[in-house]
Amino acid sequence: MNKLSLSRISFIGYVALVLIFLILPLLIVVPMSFSDSRFLSFPPSSFSFRWYETFFNNPGWMSAAKTSLIVAFSTALIATPIGVAAAYAINNSSHWLMRYLKIVLLLPLIVPIIIVATGVFFIYALSGMLYTIPGLIMADVMLALPYVITAVTAGLHGFDQTQEMVARSLGMNRFRAFMSVTLPQIMPSVMTGAIFAFIQALDETMVALFISGGQNQPLTVRMFTALRDEIDPTIAAISTLLTAASFALVLLLVLARRQPTA
Amino acid sequence: MMKDTNCLKYLFGSSVMVIGALGAGQTLADGEITFVSQGGAYQEAQTVAILDPVAEALGITIIQESAPDAWPMIRTQGTTGQAVWDVVDTPPLNCVRGGNQGLIEELDFSQIPNAESMPEEYKTPYSVAYEFYSSVLAYNPEAFDGNPPQSWKDFWNVEEYPGNRSLRNHPLGTLEAALMADGVAREDLYPLDVDRAFAKLEEIKPHITTWWTSGGQSAQLLYDGEVDMLMMWNGRVSAIINEGADADFTYNDGVLQNTHLCIIEGAPNQDTAVEFINAAIAPEYQANLPLHIDYGPGNPAAFDTGKIPDERARELPSFPENAERQVLMSYEWWASSAGEQAERRWLEFMQR
Amino acid sequence: MKATAINNNYPHVSHRDASLGYRRREHALMLLLMSPAVLVVFVLLLIPLGWLIGQSFYADGFSLEHYQRIFTEGIYWNTFWVTFRISFIVTLLALLMGYPIAYAASILPRRWSMLVLALVILPFWTSVLVRAYAWLILLQRSGVVNESLLGVGLIDAPLALVHNELGTIIATVHILLPFMVLPLYATMQKIPSDLIQAGASLGGTPLHVFMRVFFPLSLSGVLAGMTLVFVLCLGFYITPELVGGGRTVMASMLVSRNIQLYSDWGAASAVSVVLLICVLAIFYVVSRLVPLEKILGAK
Repeated sequence: MNKLSLSRISFIGYVALVLIFLILPLLIVVPMSFSDSRFLSFPPSSFSFRWYETFFNNPGWMSAAKTSLIVAFSTALIATPIGVAAAYAINNSSHWLMRYLKIVLLLPLIVPIIIVATGVFFIYALSGMLYTIPGLIMADVMLALPYVITAVTAGLHGFDQTQEMVARSLGMNRFRAFMSVTLPQIMPSVMTGAIFAFIQALDETMVALFISGGQNQPLTVRMFTALRDEIDPTIAAISTLLTAASFALVLLLVLARRQPTA
Repeated sequence: MMKDTNCLKYLFGSSVMVIGALGAGQTLADGEITFVSQGGAYQEAQTVAILDPVAEALGITIIQESAPDAWPMIRTQGTTGQAVWDVVDTPPLNCVRGGNQGLIEELDFSQIPNAESMPEEYKTPYSVAYEFYSSVLAYNPEAFDGNPPQSWKDFWNVEEYPGNRSLRNHPLGTLEAALMADGVAREDLYPLDVDRAFAKLEEIKPHITTWWTSGGQSAQLLYDGEVDMLMMWNGRVSAIINEGADADFTYNDGVLQNTHLCIIEGAPNQDTAVEFINAAIAPEYQANLPLHIDYGPGNPAAFDTGKIPDERARELPSFPENAERQVLMSYEWWASSAGEQAERRWLEFMQR
Repeated sequence: MKATAINNNYPHVSHRDASLGYRRREHALMLLLMSPAVLVVFVLLLIPLGWLIGQSFYADGFSLEHYQRIFTEGIYWNTFWVTFRISFIVTLLALLMGYPIAYAASILPRRWSMLVLALVILPFWTSVLVRAYAWLILLQRSGVVNESLLGVGLIDAPLALVHNELGTIIATVHILLPFMVLPLYATMQKIPSDLIQAGASLGGTPLHVFMRVFFPLSLSGVLAGMTLVFVLCLGFYITPELVGGGRTVMASMLVSRNIQLYSDWGAASAVSVVLLICVLAIFYVVSRLVPLEKILGAK
């Protein structure tokens, strides 16, 4: 088993290289954010919190951060119940229509994001929802739904439906049975879906580029414009913060799942 | 089980509180506009020189945005009728064709008394001149051992002036440079011979390292030494020289351009926007601009305020000695259909 | 079980009628539960898609001129060619890099495989902007890669690694690699290790066993991963825009430009429809071989 043959070594070496390729960019951004110079250079010459200060002191960035957080929270809050309901329906129904509705709900993943963005832009331009926060939220909800539904469906598959049946046969109405029997047991997958929805909304750039503007721009749009036009090191600071936030959330999820259920 | 349900309620409750707290932070600004310019060192200079003093004087809040090319957003906001921008600082080309297409508001000059003293060429029905700048040949003197390129002919001469080059990913000014490199005299440039310009550009295309899209990017390229010579906006070159970069430029063969202030059709804060424009072109604020960046004031009356020292005035693009070595860009040509077509052709050229 | 519950609640109704009524109510309830989600997707995606398709055939009445333009005008044709070429290269590279990773993850002991997978998924949780930015820093002339290559003496002058198609390919492969590794891993995990051992015990060399046993069994994962990466790359906008130097024009940029600069909905929609048809065709063909959920499950 532990033959140190050439092929084995080169295989391990190759895998290690690819893994470095994957992680390197992320590692680079963090020290960049602490560099003191205005123009990009690596390794950074001196250490400073300058770019973090710029971020927190700049009303433009702060407004964008606020927009991003509001949108991400709202997306998770709205997409999760809708997605759970849909996943429950998919799981429990044998109706012939379900097959097609399932595909409809997967469409946001299949259709190239540029077309999704164009389509939403068109609808919003017609209905006056361009550059608004509710508009941004609903678009992110649509994009988050496939994630929520997939996560919850997986959870429902592992759940023994008969428990809910028993509760209902004992006199509970369906909704109460779901809330007190099913939901607590599929909670990990629901939380996974909710966090996916949150992170998705936080990182979403393409659709937001088309439909957000003015004061209702999320962080990603502002970063894109800044990257394309300025190459401002503040972006390194924001990137580090965003990445840390995503990691923290995922870590939270992993830890929560490890907790023994009561 | 109970723990998980409580967990859910707690999460729900706290999220609602967070959103509520964030949302409650919104204050209704009393008089505000969204002002859009081109970002970077230029916008920072404007903020200190013009925007902050004006905001204080008028008692309004100025929300700033930036876009290197405002035209796409002007189009989108104008055509959908959902404007979020108020005042845009952009080449008059965009103001004029935007106005013709109903995307830019016609200005009521009775509300803009500061514009009365300005020459007629500095005004259009939709806009008023704001500042002058030049697209110049900038280079890294270290790369050239005392013999730097001084004209577009030199830029196109890859044997005598080897090195990495960059041009703007936009035909405005670039076509003029190509024609000047091909030997067209400055006075004879307009109307531009577009075919000839593109043919000349094809020659230099293989030697272009990067086509820059924003002022900040061009500054970064020269600062980092990514390129040895490029066409860029003069204020940005001076900005990096001040930051210690090895850079220099020449006004020779430069293209003298200006930007105007205009208001998007259906802007949310039209009255405040007009007030702002009037204040922004006031001579005393206009005179501040050259003190922070190498751009000339749009309002010539600024020179009479005495704020601009003579040596400074000499460095500005619109200073007569500098101006005569440059060509004044013709926005009428660019706003015409020939100009439109040249712009459309640009993408095809870039792709090949 | 169901029948008992019904009969307990509705004893006065006959067995057959109760079943039918119950089923109908059940269906109605399920459809109702689905409706908010379906409504959102319907309004924000299906309706605009329909309009886009209609728009692509419209130019003062029914017309095919937008489609004709795609096939005749150089820029459209070139753009599609560039888009497909880049997507193809990216997919191949992703396969070459992703397959060993997935393989390693599938044969390593649990702790190590979790680590490998975590390293693959970690970039997934960062915004695509962050990753594009990082590649800009890494690949620029005075960037880390060039500096180290120069320092080691492998090259004399910095290489042009970014602001061009090469940079776009590198950054895109990096961003899409997880989408290749995950389906591959999911498939490889299911390959019973006794099959491999059986192959070995029957006298096959490790390479032989791999080629004849493992690889064919992993093919559905390969197909799923390649499809996902290819299709995602077709629609890429942000990465080529940021890292492509203005010269790498992909189909999505064409759509965006047509809308924002020219309000040319006809052209934009025709390009979109062609792109959509390509994507749907690919998915359809592949779904004959690999179930759809498997491909999309990785997302």
